[in-house]
Amino acid sequence: MRQDGFKMDFGKTWKKLKREMDLMTASQTLIAFSILLLFLIAPLALMVGQAFIYRGNISLNWFISMFGDPEFISLTPRGGRLFEVHRGTMYIWGLDYGILLNTLIVAMTVTFSCSIIGVTIAVIMARYSFKGKEIFRVLLLVPLLATPFVNAYVIGKLFQPIGGLVNFLFYNLLHIMPWRIDIDGLFGIALAQILSYYPIVYLNVFASLMNIDPSLEEQAENLGSKGFRLFRTITFPLSLPGLAAGAIIVFIFSMEDLGAPIGFIGARANPLSRKVVSYKIYSSFAGALAGGISPRTYALAVTILVISVIGFTVVKRYVSLKSYAMLSRGGRWSPRVRTPSWKAQGIIYLLLMVLLVTASMPQIGTLLLATTNWATSGTLPTKLTGEHLQALATNPDVARAIVNSLMYSSVAVTVMILVGASIAYVVARRDVPGRSVLDVMATIPVAVPGIALAVGYFLFFTDYFRGTLLDPIIDPALLLIFAYSVRRLPFTSRAIFAGLQQIDVSLEEASLNLGARRSTTFLRIVLPLIASNIIGGGILSFVYSMSEVSTSATLGALREDRMPITFFISQIVYGVAAVGAVSVGAALCVLLMSIQILAMVLSNLILKQRVAFLGV
Amino acid sequence: MVKVVLKGITKRFGNVVAAGNINLEIQDGEFFTLLGPSGCGKTTTMRIIAGLEQPDEGHVFFNDEDVTDLPTYKRNTGMVFQNYALWPHMSVFDNIAYGLKVRKVPKKEIEERVQKVLELVNLSGLETRFPTQLSGGQQQRVALARALVIEPNVLLLDEPLSNLDANLRVKMREEIKELQKRLRITTIYVTHDQEEAMVISDRIAIQKNGRIQQVGTPIDIYNKPKSLFVATFIGGGSLIEGIAEKVEDLIRVRTGNIIIEGVSSTDGKKIRKGDRIACVLRPESLSLEKPEEPSNRLEGVVEWASFVGPMTEIRMNLENNRLLINAPSDIQVPIGKRIAVYIRKSDTIILPVEEEKL
Repeated sequence: MRQDGFKMDFGKTWKKLKREMDLMTASQTLIAFSILLLFLIAPLALMVGQAFIYRGNISLNWFISMFGDPEFISLTPRGGRLFEVHRGTMYIWGLDYGILLNTLIVAMTVTFSCSIIGVTIAVIMARYSFKGKEIFRVLLLVPLLATPFVNAYVIGKLFQPIGGLVNFLFYNLLHIMPWRIDIDGLFGIALAQILSYYPIVYLNVFASLMNIDPSLEEQAENLGSKGFRLFRTITFPLSLPGLAAGAIIVFIFSMEDLGAPIGFIGARANPLSRKVVSYKIYSSFAGALAGGISPRTYALAVTILVISVIGFTVVKRYVSLKSYAMLSRGGRWSPRVRTPSWKAQGIIYLLLMVLLVTASMPQIGTLLLATTNWATSGTLPTKLTGEHLQALATNPDVARAIVNSLMYSSVAVTVMILVGASIAYVVARRDVPGRSVLDVMATIPVAVPGIALAVGYFLFFTDYFRGTLLDPIIDPALLLIFAYSVRRLPFTSRAIFAGLQQIDVSLEEASLNLGARRSTTFLRIVLPLIASNIIGGGILSFVYSMSEVSTSATLGALREDRMPITFFISQIVYGVAAVGAVSVGAALCVLLMSIQILAMVLSNLILKQRVAFLGV
Repeated sequence: MVKVVLKGITKRFGNVVAAGNINLEIQDGEFFTLLGPSGCGKTTTMRIIAGLEQPDEGHVFFNDEDVTDLPTYKRNTGMVFQNYALWPHMSVFDNIAYGLKVRKVPKKEIEERVQKVLELVNLSGLETRFPTQLSGGQQQRVALARALVIEPNVLLLDEPLSNLDANLRVKMREEIKELQKRLRITTIYVTHDQEEAMVISDRIAIQKNGRIQQVGTPIDIYNKPKSLFVATFIGGGSLIEGIAEKVEDLIRVRTGNIIIEGVSSTDGKKIRKGDRIACVLRPESLSLEKPEEPSNRLEGVVEWASFVGPMTEIRMNLENNRLLINAPSDIQVPIGKRIAVYIRKSDTIILPVEEEKL
């Protein structure tokens, strides 16, 4: 009897599977799974596995040797200067507690500072109205414009004790500061990251604040709460999910960031700037061609991978538990915006201006570097020149890097859309086994530091695909394409998923009912209806791919004629590329910024709405 | 054209039975309605016929062909969705032509057939419009045209009128009925509106908690409800509960001092002496004048009376039971007056009280 029941159940399950798994669903599921397995899970799994193997046995050896090595973890400072005044100069470099601790300290400092700045700005922008608010709203996003490597270079240059513009202005000219200031090393890295990442927190908290039902705050006011108490007890707790989401992204970005260390090294050559995990991994790629990568590097990559995955998982769970802000939608929905007193407005303007000037320094500096002789002229540029921008077209190495990046990005966007649409459709519409696994797998890349992925790729594809086109030593092009695709996949599939949720299922059912197969229905009904989401998502993903740093600067190093723009910029800033001054790198950044601005305008036009254009 | 047969159809969603062992035979060319309160499983039953939902058990036959495992796109059914499901990115013409294009009908023929069906639903000239440029009624007609143009085996209408305002609803249901008669197409209609069902259907199946309670013509169901649920769901009326005192050709019910005699329309479940039973007294069957046929006389106090145009509605207190009476509109009764009303014994419907099954 029982066996019969089992047989029947099995038969039914099989029949159901057959029904759900029409050719299109089957191929979509298969494509999505194979790409994610091959280009995300397998490389990372192999890396994790290798990190735990020593002389053929499972062992913590690599971790123990790393954690015991003062180069990685040192409880007493091994060097560096923090607020130390020496011969009329205050040195703000940060103290060296070993690579691993340095990275965590920098990441936490950046996350904390970005949170404070981000929340402050978000509250101002969401709750107050003042003249020129719309302009500020746009300008506040300037730091999101990609100027990889060059941004940190500019900050390093500005804070040079002798010849730096900041010291020239405030010490030599205005005599406001009692000493010259020298910002460099770990502190410099943190400063560069804070200035470019605060908009991430700002945008997330802003969205959170806009989603809070005004009646929740009105009710509290009605009961007698106001001012800071209202903020502390109602507004802030309700916007916490946004803050948590923004903060964890900043934390992960900071850990894996290569731009700031390399930029600072290029500007100042301070060895302290090398004492972070990302640089350590980056430098091991330089030796990869000669002798491979040491398992200790795997262990290092695994360590930051674990930290960011745990952080991300915790935050994700927390956010999903706390996403109650939308709960009581309905009723009157008038935003809580008020006009502050003149005095308060003055403070707001001052705050925003200081922030904007400081945070836009890298972008302004990049423009100056690209269009003038600032790179070699000292404190201030002395003449305009178009030669750096011209070099983009005339220098064959530069032109090749541009062409490479354009090609990688175009193909990556295609892959992303194909896989992203498949995942989104299967997850949103089909009832196939493994659906929820697919959903989870597609969000993992958010939590994977790019440098960890790069190490995983190197290990996996040199091992198992030796000599093929996927072997990065032979040709890193394909791997770069898949790295871009996989890293950006969560955003693409989310965007498409959101589009699918807007379409009533009955639109598809009507098509099926009228005799169209699932594939016809997908092509003729579903695709046209989510086209704007796909195009919008595609444009932003293209920008992302063009300015991606972590895997580009590592895997891209493996073959000179395959280098993408960002790797080329890093070489220039680092001073090893034969194109001369950093100005050409800045010119490339200007190109990236132009593409990005164009893309934002386009996608806003297409989606007809202000989207959170996190091109990062 | 096609006869639709459901054999032992069962569908569960978790613990909820959306379709419980449904057996139906819908004749070729019949206008058949699935009627029931919301959540009773009528839409699920229709979706199983369309092939959009797979039954856990049972089989669906079109004529003698078992189509249970046939995907919806191979069943040639034309469904009109509750929200019309018009594709917003396609014009009226493209929406209607879609099914024909999928069937690879030659372009010229598509053109002709679309024009013809547009005429049929009175929409000629609107081919190039987009769904958002149409009124609710027009959208409804496009959806209908889209389903009809493929000459489906069965026309499936899922609460097609529920999104229209009251006047349009009455107009459209007449149009649909006429169209169906003209085309003689087997039609299955889902609604929760009992009046709509009565007006439009050849036969009605009443569904509750996934199970079919009764199948029959509107007249049958109205006059011979087989259960208290059907009696109260179709047509209003007052209920008076009591104990069966005598069961012969007529059944005698006693509750307090009231004695009522009536007929039972159940054929399956026998009523025995001592059973708890209920009398269903339709407002239009009650009158203030004593009829010639054998009748029950009920005496009570007028609680409320109101003139509603074609008639006067009277509410009477009958030993703490509420009795609704539709009296001729020229009659005036003062509130508080004690009056007597009559109902023919043959019009007094007596049914067993159902124990609510969960």
